[in-house]
Amino acid sequence: MDSALIPEGVKRCPLPQFTKGLAVVGAVLLWGVFAMLLCWLKGLNQTNMNDYYGFALWIWADLAVIALGGGAFFTGLLKYILGKDELKNIINFAVLIGFICYSSALLILAIDIGQPLRGWFIFWHANVHSMLTEVAFCLSCYFAVLTIEYLPLVLENRQLDKVPFFHNLTHNMHEIMPVFAATGAFLSCFHQGSLGGVAGVLYGRPFAYREGLLVWPWTFFLFTWSAAAYGPCFTIFLTKLMEKITTKKLVKDNVIELLAKISGWMIFTYIIAKIIDTGWWAFRTAPEMGFQWTDFYNNAFYGIWILIAEIVVGGIFPALILITPKGRSSSTGLWIAVILAIIGVSLNRWVMVLQVMAVPVLSFDQWVLYFPSWQEIATTILPVAYGVILTALSYRYLPIFPQEKELNPA
Amino acid sequence: MKIDRRCFLSLGIGAAAGITLSPLPWKITDDLSIWTQNWPWTPVPPDGKTINKKSACQLCPGGCGIAVRRIDKRVVKIEGLKGHPVNDGGLCTLGLSAAQLLYSPFRIQAPVKKVNGKWRKISWDDALATITTKMTELREEGKAHTVAGIIGGERGTVSMLWQRLFKAYGSPNLMRNTSMEDAYSLVLQKTQGNRVLPGFDFENADFVLSFGSGLIDGWGSPVRMFRALGDMKNRQAKFVQVEPRLSNTAAKADQWLPIIPGTEALLALGLIHVILSESLYQVRFVEQHCEGFDNFKKMVLETYPPEQVAKATGIKVETIKELGREFARAKNPLAVCGRGQGLTPGSFQETAAVHVLNALTGNLGEKGGVLAMPAGPEYEEWPEVEPDDVAAEALQQKRLDGAGGDEFPDAGDLPTRLAQVINTGKGDGIQLLFISGANPVYTLPDTKAVQKALAAIPFKVSFATHMDESAEMADLILPNHCFLERYEDVPVAAGLTSPIVNLAVPVVKPMYNTKHVGDSIIAIAQALGDEIADAFSWENYKTCLKETLGDEKWEKLTEEGYWVDEEFKPVPWKEGFKSAATKFIFPDPARLNHPPVSASGDAKQFPLTLIACDSMRLAGGAVGSPPFLIKITPDSVLLKEDLVVEINPATAADLGLKEGAQAVLATPKGSGRVRVHLDHGIRPGLVAMARGLGHGAHDKYLAGKGLNTNAFIGPVDDPDSGYDAAWGISASLAKA
Amino acid sequence: MKQEQEKPKKFGMVIDLDKCTGCGACMVACMAENNVPFKENETNKLDSITWMRVYKLTNNKPFPMTEVCYLPRPCQHCEGLHTGHSPCVSVCPATATDYDMETGIVSQIYTRCFGCRYCMGACPYHARYFNWWDPVWPEGMEKMLSPNVSPRMRGVVEKCSFCFHRYQAAKDKAFYKETRAIAEDDYQTACTQACPAGAITFGDLDNKDHAVYKKKQDPNAFRLLERLGTNTKVYYLSRKEWVRKAGDNYLPGEGLQKPRRIHE
Repeated sequence: MDSALIPEGVKRCPLPQFTKGLAVVGAVLLWGVFAMLLCWLKGLNQTNMNDYYGFALWIWADLAVIALGGGAFFTGLLKYILGKDELKNIINFAVLIGFICYSSALLILAIDIGQPLRGWFIFWHANVHSMLTEVAFCLSCYFAVLTIEYLPLVLENRQLDKVPFFHNLTHNMHEIMPVFAATGAFLSCFHQGSLGGVAGVLYGRPFAYREGLLVWPWTFFLFTWSAAAYGPCFTIFLTKLMEKITTKKLVKDNVIELLAKISGWMIFTYIIAKIIDTGWWAFRTAPEMGFQWTDFYNNAFYGIWILIAEIVVGGIFPALILITPKGRSSSTGLWIAVILAIIGVSLNRWVMVLQVMAVPVLSFDQWVLYFPSWQEIATTILPVAYGVILTALSYRYLPIFPQEKELNPA
Repeated sequence: MKIDRRCFLSLGIGAAAGITLSPLPWKITDDLSIWTQNWPWTPVPPDGKTINKKSACQLCPGGCGIAVRRIDKRVVKIEGLKGHPVNDGGLCTLGLSAAQLLYSPFRIQAPVKKVNGKWRKISWDDALATITTKMTELREEGKAHTVAGIIGGERGTVSMLWQRLFKAYGSPNLMRNTSMEDAYSLVLQKTQGNRVLPGFDFENADFVLSFGSGLIDGWGSPVRMFRALGDMKNRQAKFVQVEPRLSNTAAKADQWLPIIPGTEALLALGLIHVILSESLYQVRFVEQHCEGFDNFKKMVLETYPPEQVAKATGIKVETIKELGREFARAKNPLAVCGRGQGLTPGSFQETAAVHVLNALTGNLGEKGGVLAMPAGPEYEEWPEVEPDDVAAEALQQKRLDGAGGDEFPDAGDLPTRLAQVINTGKGDGIQLLFISGANPVYTLPDTKAVQKALAAIPFKVSFATHMDESAEMADLILPNHCFLERYEDVPVAAGLTSPIVNLAVPVVKPMYNTKHVGDSIIAIAQALGDEIADAFSWENYKTCLKETLGDEKWEKLTEEGYWVDEEFKPVPWKEGFKSAATKFIFPDPARLNHPPVSASGDAKQFPLTLIACDSMRLAGGAVGSPPFLIKITPDSVLLKEDLVVEINPATAADLGLKEGAQAVLATPKGSGRVRVHLDHGIRPGLVAMARGLGHGAHDKYLAGKGLNTNAFIGPVDDPDSGYDAAWGISASLAKA
Repeated sequence: MKQEQEKPKKFGMVIDLDKCTGCGACMVACMAENNVPFKENETNKLDSITWMRVYKLTNNKPFPMTEVCYLPRPCQHCEGLHTGHSPCVSVCPATATDYDMETGIVSQIYTRCFGCRYCMGACPYHARYFNWWDPVWPEGMEKMLSPNVSPRMRGVVEKCSFCFHRYQAAKDKAFYKETRAIAEDDYQTACTQACPAGAITFGDLDNKDHAVYKKKQDPNAFRLLERLGTNTKVYYLSRKEWVRKAGDNYLPGEGLQKPRRIHE
């Protein structure tokens, strides 16, 4: 029925089956939309956030998706600026994931603020000293860049491409794409960094506070670095997942392995930096503020294990697997590595949001535990459902994977 | 023109671009943000002219002056009156939130009558006529004495009007709420010869020993006590608190002695033992101004050696000896009693022992000591009531509560005995009950029995301002003005050292169809006619008040808000006492030489002891806590709807209870579900429960939250006086 | 009209914890003065708006060595280590909270705040509160709202302002009277006035004639979390060492000490 829209030379499942699948995810999406409307109409009392947890699940989700979406800028940087041309076979998908991640982040932010209708005050009454202002500006600009990067892909749809104007537009946009890639990389470096700075500048919160370079705390650089390092793992993970779901090979192994190798070395170097940072903070910064580093982990719930999970399990392990040729070329090895990496970076963002809130600073204050309400969970799953739908539609109607035709001859 | 897809697409894109570039979206965005700043459901308080009005707080006997900030006709804020001798600008939590009582949705807005269990509005004429008809009938049937009253205000013209009405009509059964002041007055009468009130000169004391008195938990005049204790810190005066629990008062003390509850009298006698045996007392006082010293000394030396006292009280022998010496050697020592806020009178034994402690150190009538205070400044005398024959005969009847009778000849009022008397069917049943300025259903101990007793009274009339528990049980309500809407004199005692009267004035016009209770009394009396009407010749309450105060006081009061008797001078002990022998008479040893009042209940079934505790964050008396107070109630007292009781972690471990666990608290009087809070600041084996929760009536901020201590603790008649001497009750606590 | 340039002020408090009884009058006075709303159930203290909050501290010793101290905590109006660099002001993305150079007061502009709550995360004192709910007054009780302080709408952050509207009123008064300076008595916060124990003193910390100037130099004076460099304007006094020590965090073996300035 919709065969005219499907890219040439590839096979897609029948439309009714596709629609059924969409309907299931669509139901989840509607559940999320319902929760979102509740939050907008009734206010944030719908959440389990409170005055101790001003930032919670949503801000974590924001930081996590932006880190995971970091694959887009870093792959773009590698391909367009550093000339890793093989990556052209995965860049479309990386851009799509980036687009989904960043649009989701913006949506979650729009739910998270208490006065969404005044959200634009962040631009209008901007406080240039605030890390969040930097985040807002760079995030919006980079989202615009991602849209521009995603647009030619949409226009490459078989029917749209027939329109001469669109065809030419696409062609020309491809020509100037390096400019956008460079812009994107520049903006990303800043907003990933400022997201790290959000926690790092909090000198009232010794768990988060980091010394740094000029106005930027060390977390600024660590966040950028980790996004570049871990983002590609998410791209690889989703590519592999797409291959599992479609039961087709979509990207050649050499492409994946190249990206995996780069990611591995990035994680490796990042985790060394992270260990140095942790050590400096634990044995110099925190003691000056009157804290032993163990004070931050003495809650009954997960204690010190979260630090071990983040650095060893989610950092050293995936790095070691990915930098060894044998590790990254084995299917199991790659799967384990990317999944651990995703967990690792998500844990890092979790810690830098939730644990910052949980650790008592006043000596007579208490650890407070938090569990999100269903509205928070639903609105956090909402972008996932939206991402699945957009990925499914893009995969079905757009030439996302240039190597698909070659790898799956009719 | 045929619209094809391309055309449609370009039109669409064009339109979108056009709208984006137009000012429209920007204007809408801007308007929306402005709208969020002026949400119509977020109130905008209207501005107006600001006026500050002086008045008097009447929410507790403390006697604070208040400054009411009014904007136009709205009361916006209540603050302490600067320069007022009691509170000089400071104010307690309840006084500060009083405007919430004025504007409470639970105000009674018009006279109402209960018809088939439902309230129906009636006119004032009908309401007053219903009462006078009933009263006339009862008098005609010779049952005048079956009209009873429970009133809150202990002094002042409204209380005087009630007393006058009962005397002229012919019923002895008017009962006032009792407190530690009653126990003190009795002791003062027995030892010094006149039934006066105690004044405590904290401002000049250099050593204060408190037997469980919540000196900064609402005892006496709360704000004055805060100031006095703060001042003691400046003067480096020492303060010792004897209390089983680390209350706020104990926390502020220089020394906390966690005594076994109920044994305070023994400790006082033990300290007396130390003073007597070491001859640390004021010799001249004992030799020249006392009677009965030798007998008393003999009794104490025989029965209360520190070793024995230590065993009973849980306080070390050495501590007792040191404390006794330190107290006696202090220049201006002062010992006080009256547990918590002093809402329960307490035993004669305890009050007398503490008073003797003061006497022995020679601080009666002295700087930093205990003063004999008049009940208030002198008023213009009213003409004597001349009861007619019916009334004279009815007044010969014995009081229902037994006060002044054979069993308890010394007691003035015993409202805590009323429920028991009614429920056991003794005496002629009450036919008509007036409740004014009181909320006995909530404040009297043993709630179940009180409810049962009240249910047995055929007709109850309430003069409440708010729909409280007692008003709910009434058959007719004649709502009084809220205290911010009415004139009233507020004579202050509360342990102050000079007689003071405050004047409450209407800071706003009455909001509803209410009537001053004084006017209601006058109207009732005048309608009853004859001699009764003759006794109430005032035009209305305001003229009565003005005449009673006299021109000079009235002028000063309307201007300043308070009047202090500058002439008053305490009589030092050297100038003798009012007793027949003009001497201090030591209490009859027999009245002190017996075991203290114990907690009732079977120790096997109820192995723990429940005590009630007072705090400034909850109103524990007749007035229900307004929303601000509920808001500042800690979560270690109230969690969601659950009352939280405090126990020692050791007790909790024995019971297998963890912090926040649900449990069932039971006493011989009642049981209920609670949560537990573990705190090291309480003696093991005790369960502490905050007073002021468990209201059945009032607004949604208060009603249905927690439990009422009075539902768990019953009254215990003091064998010497009849006053309620309960300080706790046996209890059990089990995992729910 | 004399309108000479006045020296900037630094308003602050000295709270004597030995005098504070934990009664809560400061909390109520503050709520009544500043139109702070109340909900039907306020036992969840994690979403209960109390600009002034009284904490209960204990020495954590078992019965009968237990000691308790109450600590009233208004907004600390941090100055930071360079003027105006308070933890919250520096992070607010929309300039909705500001450090007033004339008075040293950290203000909050409710109509500009869009509710991101970053400032709450930045404040180690939990002095900032979010309006999770629409403020609702029972019918009739909105009459007691003061026109001097605007009620806040749902979705914005609020906090103690040192009763800034009273400062403005005092300034107006000084202007009309043509006196240059604001008298110490003319500008006092609601909590200071209400405190029945007289535990709170308020005034210009830099003005030698004000009571706070001398009190803050008491050897028993300390501030909360000085080691973080928040440089607050609320001083506390206590004769008890464990109380003074509870005001900050110390490593094992460290005694009470004046903080090193950590990030200049």
